[in-house]
Amino acid sequence: MKRLRAWFLAPTWTVMLSLFAAPLAIILAYSFLTRGTWGGISRPWSIESYQRLADPIYLGILWRSFWIAGAATVLCLLLGFPLALFISRAGNRKNLYLSLVILPFWTSFLVRTYAWMFLLRDTGLINTVLQKLGLIHNPLPLLYNDGAVILGLVYGYLPFMVLPLYATLERLDRNLLEAAADLGAKPWVALTRVVIPLSAPGIRAGAILVFIPCLGAYLTPDLLGGGKTVMIGNLIQNQFTTARDWPFGSAVSLTLMAIVLVLLLVFVRRQEGGLV
Amino acid sequence: MKKKWLAAPLAIYAVLAYLFLHLPLLILAGFSFNASRFTVWQGFSLAWYRAAFQNGQLKESAWNSLIIAVFATIAATIIGTLCAYGFWKRSQPVLAGSLYMSLVTPEIVSGISLLAFYQWIFRFLHIQLGMHTVILAHVSFSIAYVVIVVMARLRTVDAQLEEAALDLGANEWEAFRYVTLPAILPGVVAAALLAFTVSFDDYVITSMVAGVDSETLPMVIYAIARRGVNPVVNAISALIVVGFGSLILISERLRAT
Amino acid sequence: MNRRYFLMGAAGLAACSRDRRPRLNIFNWSDYIAPDTVPKFEAEFGVRVRYGIYESNEEMLARVMGGNSGWDVVFPTDYIVKPMLANELLAPVHREELPNLAQLEPRFQHPDWDPELNWSVPYMVIAAGIAYNRKLNPPPRAWADMWDERLRGRMTMLDDPFDVIGACLKKLGLSVNSSDPGELRRAQAEAIRQKRLLRAYLNAEVRDQLVSGDVLAAHMWNTTAQQAMDSSPEIGFVYPEEGYAVYPDCAVILRESKRPELAHKFLHFLLRPDIAAANALAARTTTTNAGARKILPPAFRDNPTLYPGPDVIARGEWAKTTEPAAQRLRDRLWTEIKSA
Repeated sequence: MKRLRAWFLAPTWTVMLSLFAAPLAIILAYSFLTRGTWGGISRPWSIESYQRLADPIYLGILWRSFWIAGAATVLCLLLGFPLALFISRAGNRKNLYLSLVILPFWTSFLVRTYAWMFLLRDTGLINTVLQKLGLIHNPLPLLYNDGAVILGLVYGYLPFMVLPLYATLERLDRNLLEAAADLGAKPWVALTRVVIPLSAPGIRAGAILVFIPCLGAYLTPDLLGGGKTVMIGNLIQNQFTTARDWPFGSAVSLTLMAIVLVLLLVFVRRQEGGLV
Repeated sequence: MKKKWLAAPLAIYAVLAYLFLHLPLLILAGFSFNASRFTVWQGFSLAWYRAAFQNGQLKESAWNSLIIAVFATIAATIIGTLCAYGFWKRSQPVLAGSLYMSLVTPEIVSGISLLAFYQWIFRFLHIQLGMHTVILAHVSFSIAYVVIVVMARLRTVDAQLEEAALDLGANEWEAFRYVTLPAILPGVVAAALLAFTVSFDDYVITSMVAGVDSETLPMVIYAIARRGVNPVVNAISALIVVGFGSLILISERLRAT
Repeated sequence: MNRRYFLMGAAGLAACSRDRRPRLNIFNWSDYIAPDTVPKFEAEFGVRVRYGIYESNEEMLARVMGGNSGWDVVFPTDYIVKPMLANELLAPVHREELPNLAQLEPRFQHPDWDPELNWSVPYMVIAAGIAYNRKLNPPPRAWADMWDERLRGRMTMLDDPFDVIGACLKKLGLSVNSSDPGELRRAQAEAIRQKRLLRAYLNAEVRDQLVSGDVLAAHMWNTTAQQAMDSSPEIGFVYPEEGYAVYPDCAVILRESKRPELAHKFLHFLLRPDIAAANALAARTTTTNAGARKILPPAFRDNPTLYPGPDVIARGEWAKTTEPAAQRLRDRLWTEIKSA
């Protein structure tokens, strides 16, 4: 029994060790080196890269990433909860409605981000329509700002929020709601006092599933933020291309990983989350 | 049957939410048929589709994406299915943990760490970045997805079936091959479709480890999209949406059987 | 397991080229060559060319820095040549194989960055200035105008550290090649001040937005501006009063290249007057090739954007390689500007 299982797991071990652990180890090593004169890495070993992170500018980027990711998460929650509630009560059409939520998600992320570029530009659809209707005279600057980035993130990760919420809401005991109604509670009260607290596990799972990718987002702030909205992901990419400062880029990467790990350890409970 | 509370407002909200989710893509696809470059409708035209199909770079990159996705999917599905089976037999917290980590690692970090890894290896092996480096990278992040889907399917399989087979004289490999594998096959195929879409769509990691000959479709789309709105991108996007959409619908159907 | 090996082998085969002809991989700026130059080269020499494009020196460097990118010929700006040399990224240029070097203009025969042309071959010259939409009245005339409140949200700067810091230095009346930390920090302060008005940092990507009117004024290279002006009479270009940076771009052969002889043939091909003229005409740039300049059509040769008068030329300042210490400072300042 054990031999076969060992063989079955061996390829995964190999891949994980060589293509996941080893690269991260290299990055770890790089983060303790110094930038070469014209870029890249060189001796001496130092913790200078990590010390640089304490600079207010970079703490500001960290803070901004948290803010944007947080805003996207909250919006996803607000937008996704009613939708998940609707689907969970949809009877035998549940799978259809669920598929309709998943469908746009599994088409290209790049395409979906581009769709918002198309809509939000000064000469894009939204501005053109608003101008034709006479509501505005000059185009609104909808693109290349934090708002556009948050919108793009919400659009991209909404399904990540809806699915766990749906999973929790679907298992909700209808009797509890009936009991609440019997006791005279109005629908709104039943919602806030019964449904929402009971769906806490789903909310937690969804929040984590949205917040973490948003924190490390790179493509969305790049395309929708116009190179001005610098989140951690952009900073990292910048260090490895334009600035050619690999040690600093590595330090920022590992810091991001550490933050993600801490969040997971704090918020994901063993029995709710996890892979297996 | 109790009257459903909040039924009406929720239904209205759901319609709006679905519009929000689907309308941007529908608009994008709609304007791919616009004769004009700009957001003023000037008549129906297939010109952008013609341009897309005639663009050599697009065709080549689409072909590259396809090859990469096929090979990465086959490798990831095989490795991932075997891994899920291994987990099913006995849990492996370390390996499972590392797979989970690979899922939550920000793509940019995966990309640059793989790039650094390849740069380091190439000091000894003198190979260049190319299709193989991209395929390996895709395998590394796809395995976790495959494991999740196949595990979900495995949970519906009765462990006693294998035990019965073993009792009847089969060895472990035969038990897996003839009893469990057929039972999870729809899940495996669904996982493969998932891995395929994830690989085909990847931009961040691919752009960091791709070489001269291995430009993928997302890389080309990004390069064009960066320079501004271009209806050819609308056309490609529409094709991608329809293509992936169909794959996912099939995948969902298979998962449900 | 047999099937897996087969598939792996097939992957390896698929990764190899499907074409028997010798291959040359050329990495160049976008829109920087005539459409028929590469096909002509392929036909004449019986080779296949893979032609990739980039939008900035940094993008190119990031790819070739590792020494295993796969490219044979790239086109760095002059001030990048020395750092590439220091990083052992370049293969020597054998002058004997390039008799057409005589076609270059005298001032490019012994340039500052490579006096004997042992490592690079000058290609085209660019300058950075301000492109604007004629809706903007009065039109901009100096770098200082890019800090004007009326441009809020409708103005872009190049996504290039040397250009942006250079523009700020010029605004302060300093040299674009300054290595003085104090001066550089003052320039950085200017850039950060400007960010509030800035729409985005964009290179050639902004061309469409300028034409459509989304953007009113853009920090732009004269080449890109000329291309924009070709498609719309609404666009104008100005060389700022305080002065501007001039960048010769060169072709270099990468050390990792496995086909240096073929690369030399390509460089020689580029130096032919007819080819150089076609490239300059199509890319809308200033050529370094005297022979080409003679055969350019007069209208193009006298184009004020690409071949300005002597008073404008006098304001131009050549970009030079920065010393390592100052370069580190500049790179760090750029990160901070981007992050501010």
